[in-house]
Formats: sequence, structure tokens, C-alpha cells
Amino acid sequence: MSKLVCIVCPRGCTMEVTENNGEYEVTGNFCKRGRDFAVAEQTMPMRTICSTVATAFKEAPVLPVRVSADIPKDKIFDVMQEINKVVVKERIGRGDIVIENVLGLGVDVIATASILKEAAE
Amino acid sequence: MIYDVAVIGGGPAGLAAAIEAHKKGAKVILIEREARLGGILKQCIHDGFGLVRFGKKLSGPEYAEIFIDEFRKENIEALTLTFVTKIQKTDGGFDISVVNRSGAQTLRSKTLILATGCRERTAKQVSIHGTRPSGVFTAGTAQHFTNLLGELPVKKCVILGSGDIGLIMARRLTLEGAKVLGVYEAKPTPSGLTRNIHQCLHDYGIPLYLSHTVTRVFGTDRLTAVEISKVDEKMQPIDGTQETVECDGLILSVGLIPENELAESLGVQLDPKTKGPVCDGSLMTSVEGVFSCGNALHVNDLVDYVSESGEQAGRAAAEYSLKKRSIVPVKAGGNLLYIVPQSIDLESDNSETVVYFRSREELNSCKLIIKSGEKIIAEKKYPFLRPPEMERLTVDFSRDKLDGSSPITAEIEVNGK
Amino acid sequence: MNIKSLRKKLNKDFGGRFSVEEKDGVRTVSGESADWNEIVSVCSAAADKKHGLHVVNDIRFTGAPVPEMRLPEIRDKSLEGAKPDVMIIGGGISGASIARELTKNKLDILLVDKESDLAMQASGRNDGEVHPGIDLSKGSLKHKYIIKGNRMFDKICAELDVPFKRCGQYVCFDQKIFKPLVRIYVWKRKHIDGIDDSVLISGEELKRREPNFNKDFCYAIYNPMAGCVCPYGLTIAYGENAVMNGAKISLNTAVTGMEVKDGKIISVETNRGTVYPKIVINAAGVFAEDIAKMAGDRFYSIHPRRGTNSILDKKAGSLMSSIASIKKLELSHSHTKGGGLLNTVHGNILAGPDAVETYEKENFATNRESINTVFAKQRGTAPDLTERDIITYFTGVRAPNFEEDFVIEKGRKTANLIHCACIQSPGLTTAPAVALDIEKMAVEMLGGETAVKKNPDYNPIRKGVPVLREMSESERAEMIKKNPDYGEIVCRCEEISKGEITDALNSPLCVPTVDGIKKRLRPGMGRCQGGFCSPLVTKIIAEHQGIPVSQVRKSGSESVISYGKTKGGELE
Repeated sequence: MSKLVCIVCPRGCTMEVTENNGEYEVTGNFCKRGRDFAVAEQTMPMRTICSTVATAFKEAPVLPVRVSADIPKDKIFDVMQEINKVVVKERIGRGDIVIENVLGLGVDVIATASILKEAAE
Repeated sequence: MIYDVAVIGGGPAGLAAAIEAHKKGAKVILIEREARLGGILKQCIHDGFGLVRFGKKLSGPEYAEIFIDEFRKENIEALTLTFVTKIQKTDGGFDISVVNRSGAQTLRSKTLILATGCRERTAKQVSIHGTRPSGVFTAGTAQHFTNLLGELPVKKCVILGSGDIGLIMARRLTLEGAKVLGVYEAKPTPSGLTRNIHQCLHDYGIPLYLSHTVTRVFGTDRLTAVEISKVDEKMQPIDGTQETVECDGLILSVGLIPENELAESLGVQLDPKTKGPVCDGSLMTSVEGVFSCGNALHVNDLVDYVSESGEQAGRAAAEYSLKKRSIVPVKAGGNLLYIVPQSIDLESDNSETVVYFRSREELNSCKLIIKSGEKIIAEKKYPFLRPPEMERLTVDFSRDKLDGSSPITAEIEVNGK
Repeated sequence: MNIKSLRKKLNKDFGGRFSVEEKDGVRTVSGESADWNEIVSVCSAAADKKHGLHVVNDIRFTGAPVPEMRLPEIRDKSLEGAKPDVMIIGGGISGASIARELTKNKLDILLVDKESDLAMQASGRNDGEVHPGIDLSKGSLKHKYIIKGNRMFDKICAELDVPFKRCGQYVCFDQKIFKPLVRIYVWKRKHIDGIDDSVLISGEELKRREPNFNKDFCYAIYNPMAGCVCPYGLTIAYGENAVMNGAKISLNTAVTGMEVKDGKIISVETNRGTVYPKIVINAAGVFAEDIAKMAGDRFYSIHPRRGTNSILDKKAGSLMSSIASIKKLELSHSHTKGGGLLNTVHGNILAGPDAVETYEKENFATNRESINTVFAKQRGTAPDLTERDIITYFTGVRAPNFEEDFVIEKGRKTANLIHCACIQSPGLTTAPAVALDIEKMAVEMLGGETAVKKNPDYNPIRKGVPVLREMSESERAEMIKKNPDYGEIVCRCEEISKGEITDALNSPLCVPTVDGIKKRLRPGMGRCQGGFCSPLVTKIIAEHQGIPVSQVRKSGSESVISYGKTKGGELE
């Protein structure tokens, strides 16, 4: 049995997970998303990354980005290395892809702000 | 040109207020001191915003841009990079003096919405002594350097205060290559949301030390070390427990203070507990025609509620007409840290009044009870209440429920006590 | 006390552990002690003001290692071989005002200071009071210069465009029975000491003027000529005016040695090259004794005295509008008034300073006890005073000698040296008057008016950076029309525009650091303490200087703000 705190929403439920022959029993969760999170924590913990990438534009030297979906927790620093290599040279906007299928994980790194477009106006 | 509503501040509260007032048919102008709309959300690039409102985990800029896009689509007038220097009350409303790159001028508006946000407490305000080196930043300042300028303000740092921004910055700085040696909190319980303790500290192996504080900084040019002390129940440092931690950065997340200097200049009465204006159910302050919302009203932990209060203020300002108010105060009693609004105007429609409150301490299986005299207006059970987590509920304060002659009281009952 | 009685007293009080010699008007005390306060007591006992005897402290302090003078990191040859007529060591209020007064003459003037800006030590770390001289008795140099200096402030501040207000000072009493004594004291000041502005006012009158003061005050001495000024603002203004008139100011420049031959300074060694001045003026503050020693002319000793002031939010400014202190008549040996309250030219209340003897000349660290001491005392003056209104605090180190009086004179053993040393309170007030006298001494030393010509281009007027927040809407609009940057507010608490910051960066004495800008314009001095504006100011400095943000400093050369870009991606 292991105890954990749900990070899906600000409620932050304290949950308990028990494994029975590959089946997981979760208690303490308020909703289903909490259960899914608890199970994932036992099998393959997933996390998101929010960071920035360098740009070629003086008025906004960095552009905020995130991964389009959660990635395995143990890949966080590998993905950060990829993020740190990028220099955005086009005036891309919110939702635009900065790195496609990063490290073959099946998720993209996407821009989360349209500041470069705004500055060009 | 006289505006119906002037919104001061273009962060999430101000944007929501302007959009809502505009939709209600008011002629609106929004004044923002920075070049870009969005307020502090511009630098809050982490996710977790909008779960209540949009059911999605958005980053700060994504959340802000939903409102900015709508604001633009509605063609609402905005003055950015414009600073309000003075506001004066006149017979018909308010004279707002502003400066920007095109000059200095005075705008007129019938009503005012103050969405001025909050500022951070500083090192000196939490009585940190020692030298004055570089390398001591409030969490928001460090966030500005990291997320807007792409500059790394620290390499090996200590964080004082377990407020959400401090926790978020612990993770951000770690991701950007800095080493966070630990987060120190003077209180015996964390100040930030529990999930942030987990996803920002535990995930990255950053220790959290409760009942500890930073008492001294060292270094003449750049910070070289901090002195950490254990504190007693009264949060006073215990002599003899000092230990020195070598580091080049100290990040402070020791609380937020609503910015109400403009409100004060208008004579708006402030609540010593929230440090925001005392408001009625429509978020009108003690000064007729002046409304308050967002973190200027009280410090929120979720932006979703900031937007909500902006909308309430926007709606009320748009519908504002000069009429006499009949104010009944809402008294925050036992176990309540504070409650907003702090009063109810009997002349308004209060059937769906949104109430925000925080408990004074961690409480389990408890009940919020709001009464008018002896009559219970509303009650709600909570499995637990924690001061860092603000609660919200809608209360029917409509006229037939209220007895204008007796005060409204709100309190939290624990286990039927 | 003559030397015999002194020796007897020291033997009795300290068990023969200290000896004292007297020669050429100087008493040299030697021995050994691990207790700094004991050393201060011994040397203070040796001082004899009446006979003008100086004290040199040769007692070995064994209690702790005494820190060496902090030196700038920079090493270059930018001053190598310079041959100024006058070299001023120290860029505090003394050095800067002397430099400015000297530029009235056609002279090659070089001022050096080891810090990254002017007024970095005592001159930048005091409460800015322009003293009325109430506590000074005839016969001292402090007294000699106080009235003249005080009265010069209106003109000097107008010339140098520095805000100054004569807000008056109250010395408040709550002991009724001493009123006749205080009345005599005021009479004596006026008629014997020539401090002629003091009047005794009643408790009711005081209440009317300062309603938030302690209700127990039954009378007060009122000194209408007391005022306040921004001490570093005045120092920088003097420095800028000196530069405008041709003086050279070399910052980050420390004096590390001298070559003295036949009672004359031949050369002065610095971290930026060796300088060959005709004359040297020692205005080195807490390090004046060290400079005197290098010059072979050490006849006084400095015992540093620390003091901490707290600055309150402008919101608390309505508590009082003047300068005030509480006075209890008792036998007291403390050397300052023990602090007071003062409403600054910027509208913040300042509380302090306390006075603590220290062997550390450059320890500006603050501590909780100092703040507690000051507030405990000052609540006696204004009961509503609260620590909650503190926005920041700072510590300064005064540079008194054991005689507790200034040393303003030509070198005794070294011919081309002038001392402007042991300047402590009221050194800010006396500076304008002292500078005039030192200018005279220097001109005389250089051969008098026949050898030294007047500077025909001398301009006493210095214009500071325009303060837009104080202008009317139309004036402000006019300024913004000329330069739109004046309309872009960077510091919200103090309402400072980008245009003003750029002006400060283009000023005659540009100090492109965050603290340099802060001292000149105040961004970062408001209630948010730079939380919002410091990244913006840093960026403006970087852009103006054409350097990356990581090369901008807070103050000193190692006070890095950013360690560099977070992102590895480099632009080609």
C-alpha cells in the first residue's frame, strides 16, 4: 500500500493505493481523474513540463512553451535539454509547434503565448 | 467623453471586469501600466490555471490570452503602458490622471473598478538582517528574470516561504539548471497548495523545512550564505539553533499584499485582515462607485476566482446607479480568517452572492454557518479547511432572509462545537 | 587631565595594562586588550579637548581579527602617471564638496574613491539631518562650522538642484521640574554659543504642531533652522558639479600606498596606477587614519561607531512632519542623541540611529537588536510608531576620533597634505562651510592666488534629472512630447519614468548599476523595494550600456544579478 497526494487539481486529495495481482484499489480520491493518477503513479508516473525557449526577437527574448501532453516523469530533464537547444526565429503564436514529437515520445513542445505576434503588430 | 466604467489594471481581474461591463452595455476603458495585457499571468508560465473555469490545465499566458482575445474581439478601449498618477472623486464620478508615451491627460468615468493586484512582501518586511548583497529576490522578481527575460538569477539557492509562487519557482529554477537547496517555512504547516508541495518539491527531491526561517544574509557583493534558525510557536527564532547554508541566492515567497494605494487615496476603507477594501455583495467599496476585484480585493489562490470577482465587479459597475445603500456588515467570527464580502447592501439583489472565505487554521470536519441574528441563512459542511486554500460558495442573502436590524455573522463550527 | 593624573587614573582603572606617552600635542596609548569597548574607554579617557591634545590608539586589539579595508576587484593603469594638482582621497560629502569648491580654480583635480559610487559609506548611510547645532559648545571645530554650514544650505541646494527642507527640530521633554534648567540652557546657547534660533515652546504648542507626539511632553526646545536633505543626493550633486567644472572622479579606485620623502608625498599608489599629485587631501572617512599613516602624519585615531536607521512607508509619513527627539535629563555618556525621528525630503519617516562602538569599519550589516533599541526609544516620542511600517533599514559607520571633534588642518609632518578627517555628525551640515576653508588651504599650499588662477568657466549650477512626478499635468505633457520615455513609468511606487533613468545614465557622473540608479532617482526605494522594477531597471541599464544583463551589477563589481541566459540556444 502506498500513500500519495493527487496533483490533478487544487483539491489535492490524499489517496491510498493497494495492489492486488496487478489490480489497483484506490481510496481517498474525490473523482475518477484522481484514481487514474494514482494508478499511473504506480506504473508510469507522468508529468508535464512548462518552460521557455530562446527567440531571435529582442522584445521577447524567451517564449513560453509546454509539452502538448504529459510525458514520463523520468524523461523531464531529457526533454528540457531539447527545449534548451531551440531558438525560435519565426513569429509563431499560441499552440504552434516548437518541437514536433520531442524525443519520439509522441508529444510536441508547443508555444503557450502569442507574444511574438503581438509584438509584430 | 465620460466613460461608464474605468478599469484600473489589465490582469485577469481587470480583463474579466472590462469584458463583463462591456457586455452589459457600458462604455468601458481599461488602463494598464505595462505594455502587454495579462498582468502577472504573463510570467506565470506554469500550468494549473483554469481548472475550475475551463476544466483544463492551462498555463498562465494561455489563460490570460483567452480573455485578451475576447477583449480584443469586443473592441474594448484600452490604454496600455499607461500609469495612473492620481484619481479624484468628482460630482459625476472620477477624474483619472494618467501618463503614457503620448502625454499626460485626465480621463473621466462614472465608476471605477480597481483591479490593481498585489505585491510581494520583501526581505526587510520579514525582518531578515545582515548585509545587502545581490542575489536576494522575491519569487515574483526571480520569475520575471527567468520567464520573461530568460535570465538565470541564481545557481544555488534557498527559498524562504512555502507560498505557491515559491514552490513553483523551486521547480522552475530546477528545470532551468539551478540547484534549490531547500524550502524553509516559518509556520508549522505549508503555505502553498498541497499538490504544489508534491509536484514542485517532492518530484525534484527538494526538501521542505517547516518551523524554520532565514534570519540573516551574508556577502558584501553577491550573497554567499544565509543563516537559518528554527522558530518557536510564535514564529520567533530560537537562539542557538542557527546554522549557515552556503548559497548564491535567496528567493522569498513570504506573502502577498493587495495593492490599494489608489483605493486609499480615494478614502476607501480597508479590511485589516484581507488588506483589501471592505466591500458589499456587489463588490462596491465604502466609496460609492468604486469597485474592487481580484487580488486587490483579497489574495486568491486560484485565478479562476479572480476572474469571477472581476466579472461581478464589472457587472455591478455597469449596472451602477446612484442610489442609497443600506449596509449590514458581515461579521467574521470564530475560526474564520476572513470573509468577503464584508457587508451586504439590503437595497441590492443579493440572491446569488458569491462568498469567499479562509479558515484561521487547519480544521477537520467543520461547518460554515452564516446567520442573520439567530436565523441561519446558509450553512455548508467541509471535511477539512486549510488557510492556504480559499473556499467559495454562493449564498442567498435576498431580502426576505435578512433581518436588517440584526447583524450578519459568519463562523466555522468544528464537530458541532 | 594632565599626563600624570591620566597615568594614575589608567593604572587605577585598568591595572597598569596601558601606558600613555605625550609628545607634540599627541598622546599615544599602548597596551593590549581583547575588549574593544575597553580600548575605546582608555583612549577616550586620554583625550583632552581643552588643551587640543590628540589621541593615537596603539593598543593591540586581540579580541578578533580586524578586517582589512575592502578593495575593488579592478586592476588597470588608467591613472598611471597622472600628475594632478590636487588629489582628493574619498568621495563622501567632504571629498565631493571640496572637489566642487576647488573647481572654482584652474586646477587639475582628481578625486578617487574605492567604492563603485560616491557616498557609499557614512555619507550615504545617515539620516540627512541638517543640524541646528543645539548640542555643540564653543571651542570645537564642529561648533565653528555649524552655523555657517547650516545657513549655506538654501543656496547650495538651490545651486545643485537638491531638495532641502527646513522642517525644524523639536527636542522634547516630559520632566516638568527641569523646565527652568532647560530655559537656562537655551539662554546659554543663544548668548554664549551663538546658536540663536532655539526657542522654548509649551507642551500645548507642541501638541498643536505635532499632534501625534507623546501626550506627556510638557515643553520642547524648537530649532527652526534644522532641516533635512538627501545626504547621498547632495554628495552626488556636488560630485556632478565638480565633474561639469573639470574635476576628474575615478571610482573603484583605492589608495594602497604612498611614497613619502622629506616630509612630502611624492606619489600615491592605487589599484589603477601610480599618481603624482602636488597636494593630497585626506577625506577618507573611517580610513582617514590609515591614509594619514601612509603619509607619515598620523596624529589621531578613529574609533568606528555603527548606527542603524529604519525607513518607514510613506503612508506612515503623516505621523510627524519635522525632526524630533526625546530628551531625558540624566547623566549620560553616549556620544550621539541616541537617535530620533525625521521626516525626510521624500516624505518617509526615518527612525534612528543608535550608536554602537565597533572595530569593524565596513560592517554595514543590520541586526534586530538595533531596530528594537531604536523603536523602543522612539515610541517615547511618537507612541503610534510601529515596526510594521518599516520598508527597509540600513547601517552606517561614523568616523569619530577620541577627541570627538573634526580634524581640519594642514599636515603636521607632511607638507603637501590636508586632513579633512574624523568627520562625524554634524559633518553633513558643516561640509559646505568646511569645503570653502579647505579650498583656501589648498590654494595657499599651491602658491596662493598668484600661482592659482580662477577658473573662468566655473558654473555653480547643476541641474538634476527632472522629477516628473512633481510636475503639473501640462508641464509633464510638455516633457513627454520632447521625450516619450518620460511617459513610460518604470518604478510604480516612486513613479519614475524610463526617461529619467536614461537621463541619470547620461549624467556627468554615470554609475550604471542598479544601486547607482536607485540612489539618484529612487526606483527600488518604495514599498515594493524593487520587486517590480529591478528587472526593468536592469534591462534598461544593459541596453543603455550595450552589455548583456549578466554584466549589469547591483553595486560592487561582484554583485552579479543574473548568471546568464537560461537557454543554451545561441544566435548566430
